[in-house]
Amino acid sequence: MMKNYVKKVALGLCISYTAVSVTGAITNVFAGWETNNANVLIMFGFCLIASIVLSFYEMFTNVSPLAMMVFQYLLACGLCAVLLLCVSMIEPISARGWFEYYRSFSIPYVILAGIYYYSIYLDTKKKNAMIKEIQQANDEVQS
Amino acid sequence: MKLNLFEDKQIKEEHVDVYYANMRPMIRQLIDVVNSERPSLIGRPADEDLDDGEGIVLDPKEIYYLDYVERKLFAYTEEGVYRIMKTLAECEELLWNYGFVRVSKSDVVNVFKIRQLKPDFNMKVYAYFDNGERICVNRSYKKEFDEYLQRIRRMQ
Repeated sequence: MMKNYVKKVALGLCISYTAVSVTGAITNVFAGWETNNANVLIMFGFCLIASIVLSFYEMFTNVSPLAMMVFQYLLACGLCAVLLLCVSMIEPISARGWFEYYRSFSIPYVILAGIYYYSIYLDTKKKNAMIKEIQQANDEVQS
Repeated sequence: MKLNLFEDKQIKEEHVDVYYANMRPMIRQLIDVVNSERPSLIGRPADEDLDDGEGIVLDPKEIYYLDYVERKLFAYTEEGVYRIMKTLAECEELLWNYGFVRVSKSDVVNVFKIRQLKPDFNMKVYAYFDNGERICVNRSYKKEFDEYLQRIRRMQ
């Protein structure tokens, strides 16, 4: 059970960190921004926190997805704050730095939440069409 | 479906032959009828005292959904709400071939009676019925629900 959970989180971490790294690299190429090793490690820490928090998904099946997303976001923000506090003990982080880190975390989260909502809408539309088809076929057989 | 009826006064044992291409729900229902195993649920009006009320035979086709509340099972139909003296799991198994599928821990719905599926603002998906009621399709049962719809569609 624990082994499967670790496997699942590790898989999520690999996927999310790859996506973040590649997106960061492409953005750096085009925008000419520069990053350093500390940023890369903090991004990895954010990905790890996000993977663990999102893996709690199955614990919230009875609450609405929106409430679950808000709760997970707040929890992730809290854990990120702890991570940044730890980092700031080694290397001080400016107020702007805090803002940038949270922006880097929040923007993908909101975009992915929107994609998730849209996928629910599309999936429901598809299932509605399927239900209508089943009902029509059943009506034809009955008549 | 083509129906042939043959009257033969000399016949000693009445019998039914069914020719089918696929084992669709309709065929299964026919088999159940011939075997006298067509499922029917006995319900008592939910607002009456169980000891006084007389059992009413409910046709699965008329049931919108089954709801398990406070250790009691209720069937919702156009005519009203009936208490069923079975467990939800028993009903789910009994009505599997009649369009009934589990959508949450406490609800089994009749897919032939769903008017529409609609996501709410809070991203929960609800099944709406003609009686104005709605039942939440729980995320934990999404996979089973999807597979059931696919299966029914393939069989038809």
